[in-house]
Amino acid sequence: MEGSVLVIGAGIAGIQTSLDLTELGFKVYLVERTPSIGGRMAQLDKTFPTNDCSLCILAPKMVEVFRNPNIELMTYHEVKKISGEVGNFAVTVLKKPRYLDETKCKGCGDCATKCPKIEVPNVFDMSLGKRKSIYIPFPQAVPPVYLIDPEICLKLTKGVCGVCEKVCTVEAIDFEQKPQDIEINVGAIVVATGFDMPAEQLSSRWGYRYQNVVSALEYERILCASGPFEGHVLRPSDQKEPQKIAFIQCAGSRDLHENVPYCSSVCCMYTAKEAIITKEHSDNSDCYVFRHDIRAYGKNFYEFTQRAQDEYGVKYFQSKISSIEEDKDNNDLLIHYEDLKTGKFSDFKANLVVLATPLVPTKGTEEMAGILDVELDKYNFYKERSYFNKSLSSKEGIFLCGFCQGPMDIPETVTDASGVASQVAMILNSVKFNEIREKEGIEPEREIKITDEPRIGVLICHCGINIGKYVDVSSAVEYVKTLPYVVHVEDNMYSCSSDSQIRIKELIKEHNLNRLIVASCTPRTHESLFQETCVEVGLNKYLFEMVNIRDQCSWVHMNEYEFATDKAKDLIRMAVAKARLLKPLTEALLDITPNALIIGGGISGLTAALNLASQGFQVYIVEKENKLGGNLNDLNILYPIHEDSSKFLNEIKNKVEKSKNIQVFLSSKFKEIKGYIGNYNVSIIDSKENTQDVKVGTIIVATGALELKPEGLFQYNEKNKNVITQLELEKKLKSDDKSWLDGIDRITVILCVNARQKKGITYCSNVCCGVSLKNISIIKELKPELEIVVLYRDFQMAKKEFEEYYRDRRKESMFLRYDLDGQPEIVKINEKPEKYQVSVFETNLQDQLQFETDLVVLSTPMVPPENLQELAKMLKVPLDKNRFFLEAHVKLRPLDFATEGIFLCGCAQWPKNIQDSISQANGAAGRASRFLSAKTIKTSGLIAEVSQERCIGCGKCESVCPYNAIELIDSLLDFEEVSLNVSKSFINSALCKGCGTCAATCQNGAISVKHYDFDQIYAMIESYLLE
Amino acid sequence: MPEAKNKAVKQDFEPDILVFCCNWCSYAGADLAGVSRFQYPPNMRIVRVMCSGRVDPSFVLKALKEGADGVLITGCHIGDCHYISGNEYAKERFEKLHRIIIKQLGINEKRVRLEWVSASEGRRFADLITEFTNEIRGLGPLKFY
Repeated sequence: MEGSVLVIGAGIAGIQTSLDLTELGFKVYLVERTPSIGGRMAQLDKTFPTNDCSLCILAPKMVEVFRNPNIELMTYHEVKKISGEVGNFAVTVLKKPRYLDETKCKGCGDCATKCPKIEVPNVFDMSLGKRKSIYIPFPQAVPPVYLIDPEICLKLTKGVCGVCEKVCTVEAIDFEQKPQDIEINVGAIVVATGFDMPAEQLSSRWGYRYQNVVSALEYERILCASGPFEGHVLRPSDQKEPQKIAFIQCAGSRDLHENVPYCSSVCCMYTAKEAIITKEHSDNSDCYVFRHDIRAYGKNFYEFTQRAQDEYGVKYFQSKISSIEEDKDNNDLLIHYEDLKTGKFSDFKANLVVLATPLVPTKGTEEMAGILDVELDKYNFYKERSYFNKSLSSKEGIFLCGFCQGPMDIPETVTDASGVASQVAMILNSVKFNEIREKEGIEPEREIKITDEPRIGVLICHCGINIGKYVDVSSAVEYVKTLPYVVHVEDNMYSCSSDSQIRIKELIKEHNLNRLIVASCTPRTHESLFQETCVEVGLNKYLFEMVNIRDQCSWVHMNEYEFATDKAKDLIRMAVAKARLLKPLTEALLDITPNALIIGGGISGLTAALNLASQGFQVYIVEKENKLGGNLNDLNILYPIHEDSSKFLNEIKNKVEKSKNIQVFLSSKFKEIKGYIGNYNVSIIDSKENTQDVKVGTIIVATGALELKPEGLFQYNEKNKNVITQLELEKKLKSDDKSWLDGIDRITVILCVNARQKKGITYCSNVCCGVSLKNISIIKELKPELEIVVLYRDFQMAKKEFEEYYRDRRKESMFLRYDLDGQPEIVKINEKPEKYQVSVFETNLQDQLQFETDLVVLSTPMVPPENLQELAKMLKVPLDKNRFFLEAHVKLRPLDFATEGIFLCGCAQWPKNIQDSISQANGAAGRASRFLSAKTIKTSGLIAEVSQERCIGCGKCESVCPYNAIELIDSLLDFEEVSLNVSKSFINSALCKGCGTCAATCQNGAISVKHYDFDQIYAMIESYLLE
Repeated sequence: MPEAKNKAVKQDFEPDILVFCCNWCSYAGADLAGVSRFQYPPNMRIVRVMCSGRVDPSFVLKALKEGADGVLITGCHIGDCHYISGNEYAKERFEKLHRIIIKQLGINEKRVRLEWVSASEGRRFADLITEFTNEIRGLGPLKFY
């Protein structure tokens, strides 16, 4: 069995899977067919619903992948052949020629500057920008290496030119490169091939052929500050700012004629985001959204679409588009549409049209499925083995992650990624860490005392000509030699190259250096490289300091040689002043107890428990009720595959009971939870007041959610037996006694009861539409002659399975649409048997309707259980405004809390269906098992420290610390005969992240931040200004 | 070669400006300005801290005392802080610094500024530095009376 994994596709899905896999103890071969990792997420401008800059949150992960010694990055490679089975797959990967040696290329870009101006559309900019024949896909590409396009390169096509070869100072260019087959063996395979957005395949009525009709992904590039228009909202035809921008939803999705019957799931949200960003960029642009249903599938997503309207003035039309035509004179667009609220046909003139075109499986999916020998579904997404576990492909050992399995957003993708990683760990558990490589050849750390005189070595980099051409490096060398404590200075061409690392090690030994400074590019990408070099030769990594004289000097002062040289000298002098005061720091190793606590025994908690248990960890489940299963106990049949809930639950409960590694505490809660990552002491108390203490390393919160009881709404009260909630209907359907259906001829289902409002519950609960539709179909099976009327606002049926499910249900019942301004009214008109009159204003018909009904079913949102505050306080984790638990980052860390060591999943985070709950549970188990597998955790040296003498125990630092790392601890202070009880601040080094907010808050200067301490920063300031 | 839009011409007075950048957003924004070759005046020097929340008022006062003509504190936009809320405390502290200290010392409050720059705002970083440098140039050297 192989302890390595092949990951195909290096978008956010593949990146996150790879990172998690290496932490779980597996070597990863990450194969990407394009020249850079990053995928679609790298192309996005911002991400909903936080409007975080997409690349800013992605780039750190890309760099992490690049530096990870256990990820073999194979960009510009393609998988050609796969044989074997789970545990032992043999894979042939084709390495495509870049026509340069990527181990030599420094990414300086001199070649592209000199490359003749024969340009082709840049695919990364969705063909809106141009690139040359030698190019890097985008400035932040990983690996930061160029490649030659053989189609247009003059040397490769006609045998002339070759100028890049002449200007490349590291001699990286190699026109002789040929494609090459590479054989690898892996234990498991993860498919993460993502999606395409082929707008050109739409039928002509969407008008994509016109210049000013762009796809949403093209519009992302237009909005992006590093895109073709530098973030100015301009339209392609004349690069003028458009005044009226029309966003067309469902431009092809949910459309049988376009061959895309499913909902692409993310368009409603990114459209709202794009409209908001447009309004932020440009005061003159008005945004109009032509929508169908609003499907905001995710946490606080619906509110985001409302904010676009209420706060940014984006106008939404519920409409149907018939066609889009161009005005030949000015390239404006004429949109012919039907307004579904008025039933009128109208025309709308826009300067720019953005199409929310369908997201489809990426090109080449069918071939790849053939190579993998796995099944695709009818939409050509990879088919999951079971609806309830979408990570498993049809073949054992091959896993699915992200959009290649079906439409999903980024949080769900990274959730999947962590879940896939944990499920790989389940099957390859016996070979964990077999192929993990620790760095070799590290010398023991040399002891540096504070009293030792600083011996500073400085290396100044030319970076080819990137620094050398704009800064007088040799004069800087001479100058730096005169600075105090500097014992050696030299310059070099590329400080980052591997031969320079050898030179650095020599220098440190030769001159007995105890501080090292490299003046070159940015520490954000290169600091850790130099730090590693220092460590290899026994120098503590915190005795290294980096000076940025390229990105923040030579590149921004290209026409000011003298000024730039002065600035470079100043910056190096400041670093020398700081380096003198640098101290060696230690990174503490904390032991991790390989046990996990799971709070909540519903489907999420049970799934997470089984996952961790099969990875060999001890798991404790604490459930407050007297049985496991949570909401599943009350459910009847599960949608959309109509499986019996009891059967499904019993299978899982059996597995839990059989597992030797799981201990269940029923009717229990917590007396106390104390400790920090790796070491929690948990005191569990049951209903008989018996307590039991357990020690765990990590905690997963899976506390679930409940159905809201709509007291007082729509005649819902004690007396009215025939006004019930959806869950009450489930229970009726689950019971063997179906006599309640006798005498019922018409059922009215009301959706969005007490949900998606302006006040009160503002969110969409995501699952109620699906549950209602399922119950309709079950009732219809029981009593086909029964009439069912559904009152709805929008149908929240995102995801590939649901659109068709919904379409089928439309045949079985009558659907009436209402909106928030015209809530339905229910009046009781007969007591025995109960009969109600329903009045509603149907917006599609624009008519007031009235009819009688025998049973009213109310669909209400899910709400968090009461008293979560108490638990949240005990765990020191936050709740959001709706009282669900608040994750660390809604986009990229949906399963983590900001507090390390604690994770969340299922409805504790947000209302979700069973598939999503299971996926999150596996994901949370994956996140948690990263720590449990590691056995120890290394803390950073960059942390804050309290001087006990200076601390007055005021607690200000405790209140500002975002990580709850600071605690006031009472201690006895003895003064001769008296003992005083005083509070002192104490910083837990395991939790501190070193931001330094506490230090700046402390009025007594009692807190120092290592590596960014007061004296170090003062020294830099003085050094700058005193010269 | 990028256009020499902001090319500095030696003036009678060239201010010394200190800029604090947080590691995660504004420092990255400054890097992006470089990667994009956006030119700006060379008067400022950057001190990198992990978070704008680390910038102690004493850093600013020290810089002014030692001869800086202007100090710019930069961090992630509100809501984007890598450390969740460090920039909010930076803002709070900065307002206090302005209200109490700068005014008491009789220093023109324009000399000390707090700005948010995201990692993707290379253009904004360059423009901000250009604009701030010009403003300080206009104010002349900082003198204590």
